[in-house]
Amino acid sequence: MGRLPSVLAGIAGLLLGLAPATLWGDEAAALADLIDQHVQARLESEGLTRAALAEDAEFLRRVFLDLHGVVPSADQAATFLKSRNPNKRSQLIDQLLASPRFGDHFGDVWRGRLLSPLANDQRVQAERFAGWLAARFNDNDGWDQITFDLLTASGKIEENAAVTYLIEGRHPLGVTDLADLSSRYFLGIRLNCAQCHDHPFVDWKRQDYWGMAAFFAQIQTPGRPKVVYLAGVRDDPKMTLASLKDADAIEGLQLAPPTFLGGQEFQAGSTKTYRAALAEWITSSENPYFARAMVNRMWWHFFGRGIVNPVDDMHAGNRPSHPELLDLLSRRFADSGFDLKLLCRAIAGSRTYQTTSRAGEQPDDAEQLFARMPLKVLTPEQLYDSLVAILGPPAKSSGIDIRQGAREEFRQFFAGDGDPDPTGYQRGIPHLLRLMNSPQFAGRNVEALAARIQADGSSAEEVVDRLFMTILSRPPTADERRLVEAQFDDASAPSQAVYRQVAWALLMSSEFSLNH
Amino acid sequence: MPFTLPLTRRRFVSSAVAGAALSGWLGRLAAQAAQAAPAADQPQAKSCILLWMSGGPSHLDTFDLKPDAPDRVRGEFRPIDTSVPGIQISEHFPKFSRLMQHAAVLRGMSTLESDHQLASYHVHTGYQKRAGGVAFPSLGAIASHELGRADAPLPNFVCIGQGPRHSTRSGFLGPDHQPLDVLDPSRGTEFLSPLASQSEFARQYELLRRFNASFLDLHPAESARAHSSALERAVRLMTAEQKQAFDLSRESDDVRDRYGRGSFGQGCLLARRLIETGVRFVEVTMGDGVGWDTHRDNFPRTRALSLEADAGMAALLEELRERGRLDSTLVIWMGEFGRSPQITSGGGRNHWARAWTSVLAGGGIRGGQVVGRTDREAAEVVERPISVGDFLATVCQTLGIDHTRENQAAGVKRPIPIVDTSREVKVIAELF
Repeated sequence: MGRLPSVLAGIAGLLLGLAPATLWGDEAAALADLIDQHVQARLESEGLTRAALAEDAEFLRRVFLDLHGVVPSADQAATFLKSRNPNKRSQLIDQLLASPRFGDHFGDVWRGRLLSPLANDQRVQAERFAGWLAARFNDNDGWDQITFDLLTASGKIEENAAVTYLIEGRHPLGVTDLADLSSRYFLGIRLNCAQCHDHPFVDWKRQDYWGMAAFFAQIQTPGRPKVVYLAGVRDDPKMTLASLKDADAIEGLQLAPPTFLGGQEFQAGSTKTYRAALAEWITSSENPYFARAMVNRMWWHFFGRGIVNPVDDMHAGNRPSHPELLDLLSRRFADSGFDLKLLCRAIAGSRTYQTTSRAGEQPDDAEQLFARMPLKVLTPEQLYDSLVAILGPPAKSSGIDIRQGAREEFRQFFAGDGDPDPTGYQRGIPHLLRLMNSPQFAGRNVEALAARIQADGSSAEEVVDRLFMTILSRPPTADERRLVEAQFDDASAPSQAVYRQVAWALLMSSEFSLNH
Repeated sequence: MPFTLPLTRRRFVSSAVAGAALSGWLGRLAAQAAQAAPAADQPQAKSCILLWMSGGPSHLDTFDLKPDAPDRVRGEFRPIDTSVPGIQISEHFPKFSRLMQHAAVLRGMSTLESDHQLASYHVHTGYQKRAGGVAFPSLGAIASHELGRADAPLPNFVCIGQGPRHSTRSGFLGPDHQPLDVLDPSRGTEFLSPLASQSEFARQYELLRRFNASFLDLHPAESARAHSSALERAVRLMTAEQKQAFDLSRESDDVRDRYGRGSFGQGCLLARRLIETGVRFVEVTMGDGVGWDTHRDNFPRTRALSLEADAGMAALLEELRERGRLDSTLVIWMGEFGRSPQITSGGGRNHWARAWTSVLAGGGIRGGQVVGRTDREAAEVVERPISVGDFLATVCQTLGIDHTRENQAAGVKRPIPIVDTSREVKVIAELF
């Protein structure tokens, strides 16, 4: 487990008057304080005030979705809301981080980034790859180790799931896509403009792009994807950029030697493979890009926007909203051994993260300075897993072909393409028709849920409470209760049909569809 | 059929959260839908039907035959004369051959990608797919954005059949321009009817609107607004008269037979019905799975596919003409690339992007002509090469869209023109 080095703690202490942290939890708490102080200072300098603390229910649902990718169960919600323990929020964060569901969620998230949507077989290989990532996240392996292993993996896909990135991340452009993806996700740099011309805004030149691409040249597979499945990923020292398939047809190709960004050429005669050299350089704690890229990416995960935006376009001309905070978090992240759970604990434990998403005094653009939590749209995986958690397994539905697996089909149907803005609602008529009217979830499952909750509840009031707790993880407000009770027929006891309608409406609601 | 609310119930009236006029929304939606009835659609507004030949049809065996080429290239099919003297096409397009006066055969298609998915993406969006890059909108989404009516009861873009999903999305143009997918034209679009009874649906949707209104009150964010508005558009479609356009059983057996009873023929018929209802862009995919990807047995398969395509597209063009819509409806026949001149040992042809053929018809273009020419083996374009940009800019011009217009994608600093103008774009002037 990473310890905060005393020197840094001393610096932080000098700067902010904090006692050096001694325990892991304290370390996260100290970082959380730093986050809050920096965000607060910036807000004050702009004459803005931060929004109120999120209510327990708001925090609960948010932190479940962000750390586990699923809404809490009604029982989990009830227990948390009832608890009077003043530390219940940080205890919940710790519980969520300790559960294997944490790794599953982040494995899912990173598999979506690292594998091309055009990959050959999304189901089997992608799931194995997600499983490999999940185990690494759950073991809290350093992000440097995980990245190193992704870049240097060898062998066949069925023997070593880690090679999936090198095979399917780049389908089917190979070397150039790997250069793009690796700089985007591991360095927070968009190099792709420099494939064909020197970058218009930044320092990157074509030779930077092709110098990066050259590191992947030893693993190119000239044939079809099948060849790489049979032979596996291996390094062939004879391969160079010049041996790329149809090299003369590749836009902007420059036959650069492998060169690290910034111009340092890889030493010929080294015994290392190109990839090992690149992986060492990328994950080095001296590398100014690596820690910043992940800190910004994780911040983006929790807040729906980065400290630098776009999240993967970090360069001198693109100012962070909180430069000192980004520097500080990056340094502490690197010094902790790239400890992802520490970073999650610090961010989720901050007052900044626990700010309400409700509109208040702040102007809308204050969200950009994290005065208020923006609404994030549930990802396809969060939506599917939450529907399953509430309603049970999906029912068969004509018009939905689940040969590739129901979850995978759902994921592809509801996914946006590219790197979607987490706060932008991108779904249209087809998606909403399906959610409202397909029996996959909206039919018998809703009926059974209503029946089950009705059977458990002794009074109509209790049933309505339980419906809200199950679907929205909170009790109804007085207004909502009146609105629902207005649905009851005058004399007779409320029918199951009414509960079914209420459940359906809650499941289709904006509140359910968004992470607020 | 519009929903009706049970007026005798007091429940909504007694609600403490009562906001806008109760029960009025269904009536309003129905009224809006009625205004946009087919008759109200301006006849001069342009629409487009893309007949997508998934897999990449062999140009040598459809519209660019080389009867004088050597055996290993020529293939088995004979050229036949068409209604336009001097233009010959494959014998397996007999019905279409009589409509050549409406069509332009573009024999100079010359593109960059020869992988199915990358090529589909490139010709649909005008941009090459790059890992993690910008999500570009497809031609259909662009037409929806440029030509569609925001208040139209049907989506402005519909995809029929098992098309290349990754290539047909709206990308950065957002949810309003996502295509509605109809997987099986005979079944119509899925999920248009509520699972509950209509009166129950009306009640539960009203409840949902109240929940959403109070959420939006507390969270006036763009995402919450977009969610509510997408919901409303979906429900408007459920209640619109025009959803009958999806119901092919309203057509006579004669008409349905004329298009061919397969999924492609019926898709063409559905496309005609949708265009008449005001949908701006319909894509009909022919060939799910392998389709025209004839690495083996090219000739028997291309023959069968050609005959099916011929029936569907000829019936479509004839009906559009008979019903006065041919001049305002551009029909495109194309796949992602052509096929190799060399016939393989398995009697197949491989992918070939350097030289291939697409066909345009209707839409007010000058028909009855061939544009571009390939060499004696149809391997290279020797006259008037047409890039993806040239092709899409020409389609845009036909539809009255300025292809240089720029869009702004979230997270991208540079504005993005509809057609990539970083390379020279030459509109095919011969068509106008």
